Amino acid sequence: MLSLQGISKGFPGVQALTDMQLEVRQGEIHALIGENGAGKSTLTRVVAGVHQPDTGSIDFDGALVSWSGPGDAKRHGIHVIYQEFVLFPHLSVAENIFIGHERRNRLGLIDHRRTRSDARNLLDKFGIDVDPTTLVRDLSVADQQMVEIAKALVHDVKLLILDEPTAVISGPEVTVLFERLRALRNAGVAILYISHRLEEIFDLCDRVTVLKDGKYVATRMIASVERDELISLMVGRSLSELFPKRNTQSADSPVVLEVRNLSIPGRVHNASITLRRGEITGLAGMVGAGRSELAFAIFGAMRSSGGQIFVDGREIHDMTPRRAIAEGIGLVTEDRKGQGLAMNLNIAANMTASTLSQFTRFGLIDFAREFKVAKQEIESYRIACRGPSTSVSLMSGGNQQKVIVARWARTSTKVLILDEPTRGVDVGAKIEIYRIMQELADQGIAILMISSELPEIIGMSERVIVMREGVITGELTRDEITEETVIELATRRYAS
Amino acid sequence: MMSVSAMPEKDATSGAFVHTKLMPILTHYGIFLFLVLAILVSGLITPAFVSRDNISNMLMQLAPLGIVVIGQAFVILVRGLDLSVASVMATSAVVATSFSGQNGDAAWVVLAAISVGIATGLINGLLVTKRNVSPFLATLATMIVLQGLRFAWTQGAPSGNVPPFFRSIGTGAFYGVPYNVVIMFIVAIVLAIVLHRSAFGRRMYITGGNPVTAKLVGISSDRITIAAYVICGALAAGAGLILSGFVGVVDNFVGRGFELDSIVAAVMGGVALSGGRGTVAGALAGAAILVVISNAVVMFGLPVQLQTIIKGVVIVVAASLYVNRSH
Amino acid sequence: MQAVLQNTSRYLSGGRSGHLIVIGLLVVMFIVGAVLSDRFATSNNLLNVYEQSAGLAFVSLGQTLTILTGGIDLSVGSIISLVAMLTSGLINGNPAMVLPVVLFVLVLGTLIGVMNGAAVVVTGVHPLIVTLGTGAIVQGVALLYGLGPTGKVPLNFDTFAYGRIAGKISIGATIAIALFLLVWFILRYTRSGRYVYAVGDDPHAARLMALPHKRVLIGVYAASGFFAALTAVYLVSRFGVGQPYTGANYTLASITPVVVGGTMLAGGRGGVIGTLLGVYLVSLLNNVLNFMDVSSHFQLVVQGLVIILAVSVYVEKRRVA
Repeated sequence: MLSLQGISKGFPGVQALTDMQLEVRQGEIHALIGENGAGKSTLTRVVAGVHQPDTGSIDFDGALVSWSGPGDAKRHGIHVIYQEFVLFPHLSVAENIFIGHERRNRLGLIDHRRTRSDARNLLDKFGIDVDPTTLVRDLSVADQQMVEIAKALVHDVKLLILDEPTAVISGPEVTVLFERLRALRNAGVAILYISHRLEEIFDLCDRVTVLKDGKYVATRMIASVERDELISLMVGRSLSELFPKRNTQSADSPVVLEVRNLSIPGRVHNASITLRRGEITGLAGMVGAGRSELAFAIFGAMRSSGGQIFVDGREIHDMTPRRAIAEGIGLVTEDRKGQGLAMNLNIAANMTASTLSQFTRFGLIDFAREFKVAKQEIESYRIACRGPSTSVSLMSGGNQQKVIVARWARTSTKVLILDEPTRGVDVGAKIEIYRIMQELADQGIAILMISSELPEIIGMSERVIVMREGVITGELTRDEITEETVIELATRRYAS
Repeated sequence: MMSVSAMPEKDATSGAFVHTKLMPILTHYGIFLFLVLAILVSGLITPAFVSRDNISNMLMQLAPLGIVVIGQAFVILVRGLDLSVASVMATSAVVATSFSGQNGDAAWVVLAAISVGIATGLINGLLVTKRNVSPFLATLATMIVLQGLRFAWTQGAPSGNVPPFFRSIGTGAFYGVPYNVVIMFIVAIVLAIVLHRSAFGRRMYITGGNPVTAKLVGISSDRITIAAYVICGALAAGAGLILSGFVGVVDNFVGRGFELDSIVAAVMGGVALSGGRGTVAGALAGAAILVVISNAVVMFGLPVQLQTIIKGVVIVVAASLYVNRSH
Repeated sequence: MQAVLQNTSRYLSGGRSGHLIVIGLLVVMFIVGAVLSDRFATSNNLLNVYEQSAGLAFVSLGQTLTILTGGIDLSVGSIISLVAMLTSGLINGNPAMVLPVVLFVLVLGTLIGVMNGAAVVVTGVHPLIVTLGTGAIVQGVALLYGLGPTGKVPLNFDTFAYGRIAGKISIGATIAIALFLLVWFILRYTRSGRYVYAVGDDPHAARLMALPHKRVLIGVYAASGFFAALTAVYLVSRFGVGQPYTGANYTLASITPVVVGGTMLAGGRGGVIGTLLGVYLVSLLNNVLNFMDVSSHFQLVVQGLVIILAVSVYVEKRRVA
């Protein structure tokens, strides 16, 4: 279906792809993996006609092609579902599905009725349960993704490319997505599936191509490849252990943070948790279970109704981010670019953002001291950069994440909440982040790690709290944590 | 264990000198190069352009705009915009004529005028932060309201006089350096320290760069934003006094055009409308270029109308140089 | 039942809630006027209000389109000034020149708009700055053409502004309604119209979807230039001559009805019907204030307050978590 030979693509300052090759067959789900910066997105964009390659040839559907733009590729049956959805929030589902291919009557005018009915038929045909007249902004993320897939089905799609589709959904939604994708494959569609999650690739895909540093590494049949081999192909070395060794001695450490009966109207109901000194606690559950909201509420960044928060046994009333920081609570949010970093500022400024007053005298910033501290943290967290004055916008996701963690990893910090700390970072950076988390815990910080990735939850947590639809459904201790027990709690319908 | 993290994705390669070395220099210092170039070229064409008198004249023209543009830069830095500065300037000038016109009232004049500026800035800031009104509309509305109040107060035309003290500030000189220029530079230095050295300035950059981050690191971005509008209002009021002292007469339109000129100067000077980027020096250089252009047109004996045309061309060209092409 | 609920909620959230708010304000204004003076609720007075709405209506119609795409056109005032001077200057009292000149200036206004749009597309600079710049250029050209009132028009040229159908209904204001309906139809029933909303809603997505976003942007600024030129012709018809500052107040004035009518400055939400209601609200407000014997100075104050009031009603959801 698709065959790339000798593709190279450079941008000012970067050679993104060098002599790349890729072959995707009709009726297969082909995984594309590689660390961040390996060239996956650039490759996708070349295939989709967003970028024109500098050299090399693209064969598609039996003919040598050269796209003039994304519209050209789309007309020939290539459809990309990007990580960031290409949807118009204030248009309806039906209008979004047919955008660019509006249903029109004989006069060339938009036929609103046919737009709706065609959309309904299309959604029904693939078992997607969404009302076509709803505005897209009122849909859940998973439903928005289904609308994205429906958009692809409007045309005679031959190659469907999905860029990290499960980054935003979890659990049953993933199952539904995989079912749809398998159905499409069986209908003869070629699917190129980009993901960081090896588990999914083994579950879903037929073949896998590994990229590294903008170059082709290998293509393997999923049936005949081992997980460790893929990892070593990706990072260029063998990894026997993803997770750091734990120093278990925290079962009876003092409680640092206690939350009692906290509620957020419509999001979280009566949540109570305790975090202990030096302990890593996992907070598991589906996306949308209210975990991030709970974290925001503990940090005072989201209004809660009722409930009490105790730090070191003292009750803190009317929590605000400023008060939370003063009490030694830190929050690493899931959305680095949108929430975590001021992209216009350098590393040092981002690191000291929450503790700026410690670096000032008479209201003026002590730049020398700020840079000194930043340099130390760059070293201790092995942040790849030129120095404290590097702009964070020029860094990879993993390094950006380390900058945010470094921001909170101060002696004054007692509790650190990390929301999906390894989302969108490559395996290498993941290992680094796990190591840093363990070090912080060893220093006595209580860590609450929100994660949708089971291996991470199981590999890192001393204790796991599971949420479902805004309610804490259970708590598992070290020996009880298995995939089955966590999934059971995350999906269990409690007696109603 | 060696680091396995990906290197910065946009790391430089040797062949990309223009992109990695030249462009940053141009975007950071281009405005200053352009300013120097404009002065040199004008001086070559008309030597009188760089005469002591003309330079002093240009600096005196620069003073009020220079002060306003710093305020405008502060507001734009926190993702705002202030269309009310010209209205504040005129109102401040009108306030100055509403006292006895004697030097004994000078202190009261300053106090009253700056209060008007602060109050306007406070209202702008509150509308933008607490009511979530877009800065464009909020300051447009206060501009109109203030204008109406001013017209009503003066019944169409201001009648009183500005105390002579302001006249001497506006036209006098200190060892050859005009007083108002001295004031502008003092204001610029103080605010440059505030913006680039102080915790408050850093918090402005964070708030403008990413308001959510600001909130999550415990910055009350509302307060920072309001403060930026208040500073802008106060500066505009001060500039109104200086301009009325320079011009010598007060009407209801002192400072007309300053709202747009200050925005243009700030943007030319590298203050990004999207927030979080810009410097005091850059904004001042942007203002200086506007003054140089206006002055050069006159010195070359060209029709005055060309001032607006050239200004328009320069705005668009300058702004397009700052656009981030990578997106 | 659920569909009904959803439609209602869509109606309320889709920018059309703006209509209810403006209609409410119109009703309030009407009641206030009627209570204040028995001359207010006469057909004579209301027909006058209707007549006076035309100039603002044309220019706001174009402005609505640019704002729907998330942009703004700050050059309309200058375009009006230049076109007004050219209209009276080129006609210069010669009835035979009326038609060619009017056609010429409408094309000229459109072309200036095309240049605005092209500059926005090519430079990638925020339209606010681009049109500020082009506005200055156009204003400079107007001043080069003349420093005061220029030329004159034949007497019957005032038909556009003062002519009335059956001696009652203003021709100009009725043409305005017709144009609003035309643009409404285009927005609702053509692909180009759909893309205006799409580009304003998410320009990045529009590019990725390979929608003709450049053509859309050039189109809306061209339309804005055309409607500004039409306003200029109307103003010359009304005042008999064009001046270098004829349009000065219209740049900002054209934005008021748009935002009062519920179109969001962020783009993608709103529509022209809201703007038309906003135009009537402004006209009615001025009329009521006249009846209240409020000095023209305080009329400004009230207008500013109405903007604040109306805009605070459409509070956007806070994006901060």
